[in-house]
Amino acid sequence: MREFLLYIKSGTEAVSSVQTYVTPSFAVDQSFWQERESCILHVIGKTSSLALAFSLREQINEYIRKRLAERQKLTDGVVAELRQLAVGKVREASGLYGREVTDRERDDNQASWSSAFACMRQPPKDWFAWKVVEFRCEVHACQKDAESAGGYRIFSRHSLLRRTSLTADGASASVLGKLLDGRALLWEEIETLLCKRGAEVGDLAAVLHEGVLAGKVQWLPGVRMGVVSNWRRKRLVLFCERCGSEGRALQLIYCHSCEQGCAYCTICLGMGRSKCCTPYMLIASSASTAVGRETGMGQPARLEWTGRYSQDQARAAERARRFVAGSHPGRSEFLIWAVCGAGKTELLFPSVAEALSSGGRVLIATPRKDVVLELAPRIQRVFPEARVIAVHGASAEKWEESDITIATTHQVMRYHRRFLLVVLDEADAFPYHNNPVLYRALARAVHDTGKLLYLSATPPLYLQKRLVSNDRSKSASSAALPLASATHVLLPGRYHGKPLPVPEILTIKGLHKRVRTKRAVPQMTDAVKRSLDAERQVFVFVPRIDDVDVVLAYLQKAMPDRSEQMAGVHASDPLREEKVLAFRNRRYTLMVTTTILERGVTIPKSDVLVVGAEAPVFDEASLVQIAGRVGRSFDDTAGSVLFLQAERAAATKLAVRQISRMNQLAKKLAEAGGDNA
Amino acid sequence: MTIQSCVACGGHLNALQREGIVRKRARSLSSSAATYPVVYRLLQKLQVCAGCLEALPFIGEQICRQCGRDMCGEVICRDGLCRDCVDRASVPLSNNRSLLQYDEKGKSLVSLFKYRGDERLASFFSALLTIAIYRYHHTPPRFTCITTVPLHPTRLRERGFNQVELLAKALGHAIGVPVKTLLERTKATEKLSKQGGRVHREESMRDAFAWAQGAVLADLSSACSGGVARVKVKGGANSPVMSGTPLRVLLIDDIYTTGSTLRSCASTLRAHLGTVCEIYSLTIYR
Repeated sequence: MREFLLYIKSGTEAVSSVQTYVTPSFAVDQSFWQERESCILHVIGKTSSLALAFSLREQINEYIRKRLAERQKLTDGVVAELRQLAVGKVREASGLYGREVTDRERDDNQASWSSAFACMRQPPKDWFAWKVVEFRCEVHACQKDAESAGGYRIFSRHSLLRRTSLTADGASASVLGKLLDGRALLWEEIETLLCKRGAEVGDLAAVLHEGVLAGKVQWLPGVRMGVVSNWRRKRLVLFCERCGSEGRALQLIYCHSCEQGCAYCTICLGMGRSKCCTPYMLIASSASTAVGRETGMGQPARLEWTGRYSQDQARAAERARRFVAGSHPGRSEFLIWAVCGAGKTELLFPSVAEALSSGGRVLIATPRKDVVLELAPRIQRVFPEARVIAVHGASAEKWEESDITIATTHQVMRYHRRFLLVVLDEADAFPYHNNPVLYRALARAVHDTGKLLYLSATPPLYLQKRLVSNDRSKSASSAALPLASATHVLLPGRYHGKPLPVPEILTIKGLHKRVRTKRAVPQMTDAVKRSLDAERQVFVFVPRIDDVDVVLAYLQKAMPDRSEQMAGVHASDPLREEKVLAFRNRRYTLMVTTTILERGVTIPKSDVLVVGAEAPVFDEASLVQIAGRVGRSFDDTAGSVLFLQAERAAATKLAVRQISRMNQLAKKLAEAGGDNA
Repeated sequence: MTIQSCVACGGHLNALQREGIVRKRARSLSSSAATYPVVYRLLQKLQVCAGCLEALPFIGEQICRQCGRDMCGEVICRDGLCRDCVDRASVPLSNNRSLLQYDEKGKSLVSLFKYRGDERLASFFSALLTIAIYRYHHTPPRFTCITTVPLHPTRLRERGFNQVELLAKALGHAIGVPVKTLLERTKATEKLSKQGGRVHREESMRDAFAWAQGAVLADLSSACSGGVARVKVKGGANSPVMSGTPLRVLLIDDIYTTGSTLRSCASTLRAHLGTVCEIYSLTIYR
């Protein structure tokens, strides 16, 4: 069992230096302070719940700040008082925890879908265990005097206070620093990483804690605990330090690891359990230069790309590159707003090269695993001398060192101030959209001097507000969108220079009922027939999973001769990947799908039909993305997009407006470009 | 916080769609008309969507009398035993019963619960166990106590919770039988998933358990008081004191694979309690 000791350090002369610390190995602290200054260390007590220790530290520091202004000196009396305070606070936290448990059980019993057995735990009398340790030692700088030596003897009984190998630590600390550079990991994950990379560290807790004292490592409990009080009552608040979730998202449990009340986070559970008793270590990247790269390994920034940019693309790519190269302190975020099919990935190359050449690491985060797997070889081809790794849940390369990391969203949580450039692909997509957890993780992965680059075809409003209209065009009412500012660049045209297909909206009364009862909807059937007769493939988007089969059955009945070539797919379809692949291979010519295919899938010569476009799942961004499936390849730049709705809706109109606005902008830009040339 | 969506597929819980399937399942799972309402209610509160509920691989009507294996498509040897059980001479376990077949979906659910540590699933699994009790045992169940297959202390510390104990507690609460810690693990065996072979497993399980120090059965504790340090009595008041009937102990585990763990536990229990006791086991998966 890991235990954590709480102690107060007071300087021998200056009162202001009174500070409380939490340590997993007291001997490390003793020798650390010995090397630096003379001080007195008053031990308060110990517990195995890190969250409790941190919360007590907070409260004691607060108390000291308030009280010591009057008293001016940390006497033994005050320390005894503080020990009493700690005991009281633990009891209080225990009570609040117990109340929270019963509150939740009561609520669960009321909830309709709750289990019949919510009251599963017997609350023990005390949820938290706290052991008061009365010990005081004086540490004198640079000399071991009798008392502190005595301190060692007294504490050698406690395993957590013993120091194993003093000499070996220096070497392992540097190895550890290299391996953990720029990562944010739970204790268990550090052990896994060291095991995977074959590093042996004698006393991990001691080495890491030295880093903490030296300020290189930040450590936190996986789940933070605190007490807030308002006028009516005090309440226990829990907060996951890793993903930032709080409240009921954290499950209260009796934990056998720390043998007391604990809590774990259910939101980031897939990444390992973040608990009250698990230390969460944040190790900021020591320098912007890539650590662990030996000289003579070539230039990772060398770009081998034979493709060519269109005029617009070149402009946007240059803007982005300048942003990455720039050293404006305040400007750390940049948005590339490029319509669907503008060639976003290629735009990144100069920026990535720029970041690599200044010696930093690059992260490309994307929402989905298949995109990660597709992107990694592509990037590797373009940057042949860089180390590129693909990181996702099941990836074996997770713990490797690299220049360019391509990761799924959740894996980003494992990095801490590591990357000089972080690119977020599809910033508006699930799971990023409106997800503070992932935005928080992303912001944390960026190095102090690093940059964050958003890539989106339909940036959400909060990104637009923050990054688009901040410069000259303060007047948001004006219809004109600025093409570029210090924090964004807009690419309104496709790489092939042809306009985006503008959707057609049709309102059909009783659409859903007619489809369900298989009564003919000629507009729909005709459109599908026309496309299929022209040897084109058709995406049919529906709002709900249940609609997939309904619409598929309707179309199969309407066109029995083609029913073999039709299929339906949704997120939890076990054959999902096979079906999408078959659609790509033209084995199927018509695919009925939910919004899962709204992005990422590119099929040449295809048309789009949305049945039930008024449904709330189809918002403006989603519809623009869906319309963007069409006409992406060089040999087929046009195509038809049809939105069928049962009643009039705002989103369809807005989507059409956005698409036409982009087309206008592109046209204007092309004319201006033509004039210049 | 309980899970508000389907634990198996994450889908939406649609009460209307589920109703028909819940009724059908409840009919097929309840052994008599008397248990139908209980089983119905348990199924209704199960956090799985209509599709997943229908797809749950419940073990069929025809089972091995000893180990509870689904005998559909299996060779039935004498006395309604399966080919594994027929060779065993004497088994300390009276019988084993399980509710579901262990398929891929079950595997991922169990690993989510055991290895990922999503303790919210405990209520789902314990509901399944309760259904199994009503399906296979007398109602009301006449057990002296429920006990679990223990975890080794190191494993327990590493994992932070004992998954089977959570299930047993909820089950005990649901059927009003006290849960006791009667056994402790003396050997730290390899993780089941990393062991190879039936013979090897049987070997590694031998003498892996011992009677927990200070553990006492509730009925005996009135006679020989003291030494109740490790006994956890839950709802002990309504545990039926049966003078004439033998001790009936229910062993709980999550999965019955070869049964070596449960048999090893049962023989330890039998060695301590004497031959008059009857030991039954109940698992979710088989």
